Amino acid sequence: MAILEILHFPDPRLREVTEPITVFDEALSRFIDDMFETMYDAPGVGLAATQVGDIRRVAVMDCSEDKNERIVMCNPRILWSEDEEVVDEGCLSVPEHYDRVTRATRLAFAAQDRDGSEYEMEVEGLLAQCVQHELAHLDGGLYIDKLSRLKRERIRRKMAKNAKRQDEA
Amino acid sequence: MAAETADAGARPRALAARAVAGVIDQGQSLDAALAAWPSDLSGADLALARMMAYGTLRDYRRLGALLAPRLKKTPQPVLDALLRVGLFQLEATRVPAHAAVHATVAATKSLKLSKARGLVNAVLRGHQREPVRLGDEAAVGVMHSYPDWLVERIAADWGAAATEVLAAGNDRAPMHLRVNRRRTTRDAMLAEWRTADLSASPMTVCADGATLAAPVAAERLPGFAEGRVSIQDGAAQIAADLLAAHDGQRVLDACAAPGNKSAHLCERADIALTALDIDAGRLATLEATLARLGLSATTRVGDAAEPAAWWNGEPFDRILLDAPCSGTGVIRRHPDIKWLRRATDIDTAAVRQRRLLEALWPTLAHGGRLVYATCSILAAEGDDIVQDFVAATPDASALDPAPLVGQPTAFGQRIAPGAHDLDGFYYAVLVRE
Repeated sequence: MAILEILHFPDPRLREVTEPITVFDEALSRFIDDMFETMYDAPGVGLAATQVGDIRRVAVMDCSEDKNERIVMCNPRILWSEDEEVVDEGCLSVPEHYDRVTRATRLAFAAQDRDGSEYEMEVEGLLAQCVQHELAHLDGGLYIDKLSRLKRERIRRKMAKNAKRQDEA
Repeated sequence: MAAETADAGARPRALAARAVAGVIDQGQSLDAALAAWPSDLSGADLALARMMAYGTLRDYRRLGALLAPRLKKTPQPVLDALLRVGLFQLEATRVPAHAAVHATVAATKSLKLSKARGLVNAVLRGHQREPVRLGDEAAVGVMHSYPDWLVERIAADWGAAATEVLAAGNDRAPMHLRVNRRRTTRDAMLAEWRTADLSASPMTVCADGATLAAPVAAERLPGFAEGRVSIQDGAAQIAADLLAAHDGQRVLDACAAPGNKSAHLCERADIALTALDIDAGRLATLEATLARLGLSATTRVGDAAEPAAWWNGEPFDRILLDAPCSGTGVIRRHPDIKWLRRATDIDTAAVRQRRLLEALWPTLAHGGRLVYATCSILAAEGDDIVQDFVAATPDASALDPAPLVGQPTAFGQRIAPGAHDLDGFYYAVLVRE
């Protein structure tokens, strides 16, 4: 297992649209394990392949308190969603920034596990928020796309400044 | 998605819990507790933290009753406060339940309560699933969240209206403004606020008063910095009407700080005002207020109960004695009062109020008028004081209240909290023969 490098906004690779997974093999399983390790280390509650520079359509999540409820979503799609609320959100690819975005409160999604088996799941709250966040990643989207252009520009400048500071250090 | 998501919401919860514990455990005033909040707290987080601190203190005792069945032992003060802040969100706010639970649990971290993380989570989730409901047999003091001694005193004074008085103390107070008629008119200010997209309406019981539909910080209120408007509850604005000071009169405001009533008196007429207060620091606030409004008065630091130290012997035509009191009429603005006051405080305040009245009376001119006021709703600090004083003072008599805004009492009038949207108040007008 290995901890992968998490790309930071505005890295163009975060804008890639992922490709459906057709082969569920040992290599995919190893990649998924690495994604979990990277996510827990960050720490995060969800991680999508685009965030580590991969274009396979897979994301991992664990929103539990005790970090023992792993969810693998290969080729996920939302079946239905309902109710909206404004929630605080942050992204491992946009470090140290949080903002309020509108998300559906409850939804159901269908996906495949690491062995290719199909499953459906109904979720709410933080988990529902996380599913929406990760699915957006798989289509090259970021939660900050939901913010105003002005705010996004401010974040871009802040990220650039941080990157520069790290290069100098 | 980043795991710290909830931490953004954790901060306002942690600060609200600290403020509540500051009041309950350390006897701090809520104003003092809020003043200790970090200055970078702003916008939505500040509004949220304030809303939770005020709301939790308003509902404090009832929240405790909902909490008790889920706890084996009494939690330490900050944890207790955090649990009530959490329950308050589930009970009385539109914060989505899972977000409330998540952020409140996350607040344990900065409060150094990480060990209680599981407990907070279990209690709040438990309440979310299966809320404890208090039956009709629950005590009035629990249902309305007041200490029993205060419930008893309010019941004794207000009779059938007591429940309404208790409930009104838990309402959120409106933002009342007072227009400086020396610089503008109420109609002009209303028009100016409309232009600024602020919804304000004139008050019927206060000639200079307006109610703002949604509160705005003073620094963002059009007209405030320029001294055209002040923030003051309508009940306090009635003092100027009752005192009815005329141009050229010598007027004393005996417990003047922070100075809103002094300012109003000067806005109304060209008077020679002496603004007296025992607290030099608070008198400085009064001076700043007068300066902002373009008004002037003679300020004196001194104890109103000891006129020998500050009075030059020239009688006053008018005296306003807005006496220090329990503040039970302004509980809707200061919910901490419910938990900071003790039963014995009322008697202590009454002794002081009687002394102030007795000491100031000789400084009033014959034919002069003294307005006695408190923001208390208890007779012990209102009519009882005036009754005793009038009985013991041959040249003192009480006038029929005019204008009559509240309910007439034997010697003055009392305003129930929430009546005409006002704070609770007591006024009596005394004349010296």
